[in-house]
Amino acid sequence: MPNDFETLETLGGEDEVSLLEILDHVLNSGVVIHGSLVISLAGVDLVYLGLNVVLTSVETALSNLQIEEKRRRK
Amino acid sequence: MSRILVYCGFRKSRELALPTVGVNAVPVEVASFGALSLLWSEVEWPFGPDRMQQSAVEFHAVVHKVFHQTAVIPFRLLSVFDDQQAFTTFAAENQERFLRDLERLKNFVQMECVVYPAPSQVDRSSGKAYLEQKAVALRSSEGFAQSMRDAVAHVSREVRVRESKNGTRIFVLVERGRENDFRQAVSAVAIPEHLSRRMSGPWPAAEFLSEQVKMPQIDRVADAK
Repeated sequence: MPNDFETLETLGGEDEVSLLEILDHVLNSGVVIHGSLVISLAGVDLVYLGLNVVLTSVETALSNLQIEEKRRRK
Repeated sequence: MSRILVYCGFRKSRELALPTVGVNAVPVEVASFGALSLLWSEVEWPFGPDRMQQSAVEFHAVVHKVFHQTAVIPFRLLSVFDDQQAFTTFAAENQERFLRDLERLKNFVQMECVVYPAPSQVDRSSGKAYLEQKAVALRSSEGFAQSMRDAVAHVSREVRVRESKNGTRIFVLVERGRENDFRQAVSAVAIPEHLSRRMSGPWPAAEFLSEQVKMPQIDRVADAK
């Protein structure tokens, strides 16, 4: 599987997924039960005030993380 | 300060081997509401920023241990309940919706393909050149997405395409066990020279959950305004 990012092995040991993909899925996919959150991710402080903002801000954070991962690999 | 972190929901079964250790090494508990089971932990909240990535990996491991055996509805890592009462009320209110989605998705997994501009090909010589290249990339992505829809039609129940800042994301609902057919079908689609492609999966079919399951509190948020 072509992959630009750090690779981790999942529990099953048969699928390889990147840290970025895991972060994307655990933060962005699935059931949302709160409308407001405050977190810090990859050194970026994020304040989420609404559901729509959550989706946009996490995407931006992941984009920053992707750039940082590439920079570290060079 | 502690909170209730929920990992995922699935149809109750004695045959499943369930994880026992969750995020930050706390025990994973099982709560059952009729035929619905939910995995949860009591965690210290909020998570420290320095453990964020590790927590994400641990959360993923809990969800995927169950997902490897059966269909699950994942929760989001940073979504927590204030206390057990709030969790129990939520589960009781949403139990039937969850079971309906689990029944609909029980034989499927989510496969993904992301198409994005090849990093080495990005032209930053001028703003105009950058925007023109971006427009070309977008048209190419749309063309690729359509070719991919056609190529995976024989293994997919449903396909959804979403544009994001990072490229075009294509989500495909694939019958469990046919993941390799999906990978082969996607690999056979020629990718334009200035684009790159990344496949991933299988994942829980979160993109294909009903809206009421994905964001069950929407009605309440709207009421509060």
